[in-house]
Amino acid sequence: MGGVFIALLSPSLLSALLALVVRPYRAWVGAFNVVLSVGALGAAVALARLVLAGQTPTWGPGEILRADALSALLALCVTFVAALAAWLGPGLGLDEGLDAARVRRFRIFANLFAFTMLAAVSTNNVAVMWVAIEATTITSAVLIPLHVSKASVEASWKYLLIGSVGIALAFVGTVLAYFDFVSLAGGHGSALLNWTVLRSEAGVMHAQVIQLAFVFILIGYGTKAGLAPMHTWLPDAHSEAPAPLSAMMSGVLLAVALYAILRWKAVVNAAVGSGFADALLLVLGIFSLAIAALSLVIQRHYKRLLAYSSIEHTGLVCLGLGLGPLGNFAAMLHLVNHTVAKSMMFFLAGRILDRYRTTELGRVSGLLRAMPVTGGLFAAGMIALVGLPPFGLFLSKFAVIRAGFAANRPWLMAVVLALLIVAFVALVAHLNRMLYGAPPAGVTRGETHLAGLVPLIFCAAVLVVLGLTVPGPVQALLARAVEIAAP
Amino acid sequence: MNVVSGYVLELAQSALALVVAPGIVGLIRWMKARLQNRRGAPCWQPYLELRKLFAKEAVVSDNASWLFRAAPFVVFASTVAVTFLVPILAVPLPFDAVGDLIVVVYLLLLGTFFLALAGLDPGSAFGGMGSSREMTVAALAEPTIALAVFALALSAGSTNLGQIVTRTMTDPGGALSPGHLLAFGALFVVALAETGRLPVDNPATHLELTMIHEAMVLEYSGRYLALIEWAASVKLLVFFVLLSNLFVPWGMATALTPAALALAFITFLVKLVALAGIIALFETRIAKLRLFRVPELLSVSFVLALLAITSSFLWR
Amino acid sequence: MMDALFAQLSVLGSSAVLLFGLVTLWRRSSAAHIGAFAGQSVALAVTAAMTALFTRDWQLYAVAGMLLLLKGVAIPVLLTRMDRRFGAERELQPYLNTSASLLVGGLLVLLAYVIARPLVALSQLPTRTGLPLAMGLCFVSLFVIISRKKALTQVIGFLMLENGIALLAVLGTYGIPLIVEVGVFLDALMGFLVMQIFVYQIHETFESIDVDQLKGLRK
Repeated sequence: MGGVFIALLSPSLLSALLALVVRPYRAWVGAFNVVLSVGALGAAVALARLVLAGQTPTWGPGEILRADALSALLALCVTFVAALAAWLGPGLGLDEGLDAARVRRFRIFANLFAFTMLAAVSTNNVAVMWVAIEATTITSAVLIPLHVSKASVEASWKYLLIGSVGIALAFVGTVLAYFDFVSLAGGHGSALLNWTVLRSEAGVMHAQVIQLAFVFILIGYGTKAGLAPMHTWLPDAHSEAPAPLSAMMSGVLLAVALYAILRWKAVVNAAVGSGFADALLLVLGIFSLAIAALSLVIQRHYKRLLAYSSIEHTGLVCLGLGLGPLGNFAAMLHLVNHTVAKSMMFFLAGRILDRYRTTELGRVSGLLRAMPVTGGLFAAGMIALVGLPPFGLFLSKFAVIRAGFAANRPWLMAVVLALLIVAFVALVAHLNRMLYGAPPAGVTRGETHLAGLVPLIFCAAVLVVLGLTVPGPVQALLARAVEIAAP
Repeated sequence: MNVVSGYVLELAQSALALVVAPGIVGLIRWMKARLQNRRGAPCWQPYLELRKLFAKEAVVSDNASWLFRAAPFVVFASTVAVTFLVPILAVPLPFDAVGDLIVVVYLLLLGTFFLALAGLDPGSAFGGMGSSREMTVAALAEPTIALAVFALALSAGSTNLGQIVTRTMTDPGGALSPGHLLAFGALFVVALAETGRLPVDNPATHLELTMIHEAMVLEYSGRYLALIEWAASVKLLVFFVLLSNLFVPWGMATALTPAALALAFITFLVKLVALAGIIALFETRIAKLRLFRVPELLSVSFVLALLAITSSFLWR
Repeated sequence: MMDALFAQLSVLGSSAVLLFGLVTLWRRSSAAHIGAFAGQSVALAVTAAMTALFTRDWQLYAVAGMLLLLKGVAIPVLLTRMDRRFGAERELQPYLNTSASLLVGGLLVLLAYVIARPLVALSQLPTRTGLPLAMGLCFVSLFVIISRKKALTQVIGFLMLENGIALLAVLGTYGIPLIVEVGVFLDALMGFLVMQIFVYQIHETFESIDVDQLKGLRK
């Protein structure tokens, strides 16, 4: 049983160690990284199968590692994006303008980043989960200023500080919940910080204290998830980071933070019923959606555009989590779709940056003529992000709104629709300016690095498949995950 | 205790305060001198100064009004009135019913107010400057005194000073509570500010631009100056009494027996000397704050008093 | 009787920890801030050790030892070194002046008392009266982080926030399990080291550590 955990967690750790040990950096280290990350993806698939078969693998003293459906879902997302980052990241013999030392630093910390995220989703102990998420802040912050500039240093400082403060607040919440539990249930010891124990004994908890704890946890992990008003670090960090890191951060780190919120939501709902947590999640969700949608209109840099779109989608997921079991299903489906779409978009943005040498929207034009395949994929991704068929995000968005109506909140859904339309108009307008027209002088035409396009085409294909139908195993996995989050 | 002996005690207490006060000022100056490796004037020097001043002629400026002549008497009278109300030797006092901590605070403020007016009255530049500075300090210090002693009053259940002292005497554990300690800190800073000690004001300075209290009394001479100086030293004594007897009241007499009173007198002197030593040491170590930093220091004491009230309120 | 003494001592310790935190709002020089942080960590270690003494829990001794070594000695030394390297600039004016900051700090402690009422009501431990003080320290540290302009002071504010949380754990539940505590310490240490690297980088790139200059990225 423990084998699946070893298979899941060790590849990223080994890749990091390998990159650390081999000085100076060599291209075969990157190749190993790719192979190992695909192995991790395979382990995640195996884990999903185990869970679908009804098992809940555990390992370690006090069941410190435990994977249920929710863990398996997140593990799949993390390993998928990590594999993409390994394949499309710097250091595989292609010239990206980074010296060997920087590439080595990328390989070390990107793998550690992936490891910490996987550790966060496969542990049973909420305190260990906290430690892992704090570690994600540290490992990702080191990489943001990979290309040193005033902007990237500023972005990484803001990220580190705001992220650490947020995580500290989440720890306050964790301590308060532990305090509540221990005061009423008695006893002492790390077993009392296990999520399974907290959830099953939640009935004894004092209502006011656990509510206070949840407020701190929501603010804390919400900062990591990019929920407004704690989102101020996100546009800077995600736009200044190198493309593979942005993909990992936007694609899965936000998802892992939401996973933490989900775990605690299950505990709070078991303690005081679902009204309290749902109300808070709805407020934060709609607020994030509003801020993001309105900010999208005035954006002038395409990477920041993608970052604000992440905030928009995170807000939507948060909203869905507050709408009962139907909403939770829709929200998790949306999470999976967004992971695939956003990571694809950031990788494409990286390619555009490579070619056009500018991040400004105004100076990128004629994408379809200069880089036809990239441009086409970018357009497809953008259409996916605004929620049009035949992509998966349309289905999940629709499901969230339907859940909203089922949960008796028609006015809220009307506001959501209005905001989504604002975002739609903004994104499509920006997209049009980028795609058509003539490319500026000095931009070579034609695609290079064709091998790098293959995984991105695969991503687009996955999005289409998820848009036409939700495959059986995925649906089953999601259903089980919803059972855990919102019984 | 019966009424007559109570009133006799009150008079005796006030007389004691008046007699001892200049000695305390002299003691602090002597200690400072010794700490700075000087010989220093003997402790009874202020008495000699007072005698000299009373014998001298008082010169009054032509621009001064009746206020200038009346102010020293008002200041002296209000300070003497305070000595009747604070617990120096024994508790409870018969005047407790008349004057509680709020009356004490307002009497002290009355003195400050009149002194500030008197600084403005002759129309000299330095007088006005001293008065405005004194008012800045007082505006921040007075609420702090009230809050700090109020924190003690909260735990004692009454603003009556005698009752506060009695309560602390019967509950030694409470003396170490954070409310008390914070109130002590706040009151200590305020005592420094109100009596014109470093780091707020340098009592030994001759530079007018650094003066606060001295600048207000620059125009005074002769018997008026004597009264004001005496009142200032009594004010210092009053603050010492508040600091020691509200927080460390053991040794005070609860019955009017000669033995208890003798013990109370001795502990009173011991506490005064100890506080004088602390102040002297403090003044030797630190420098005067620039004027615009004084509000910062007073804000610190205000926040300490605020915290004292919060913790007293919730400690019950 | 022992309970009453325990309660009083723990409140004294917590008050000392909070007051050191308030010093950060009062003094402007980095050396004073570092000294206040070191003092606070020592006070916290003493409180933890004293709690260990009364509850006969050896794990808390280990926690107190770690606090003393790491936050009382090692980190202040590193901070002083950082300060010597770039603290030599003029003192930066914070966003809010000292008197107003102190008042806000006092009000935040009041707010913490209000918020921590259900906690104090729930707990049966003799240390419960110190809980609002720990929460107050958390709020005051947050205020320090958002209202100070020097990157170094923001780092100190963050470290104080962690002290506040540790105090909350010690007072509320006699500390969290040792394994978790060790993990938290390692995280804190790593976080601090990375922050140190970043302050160096900010200094290299911006020629100062005034975070007010970090506003190139807007919108």
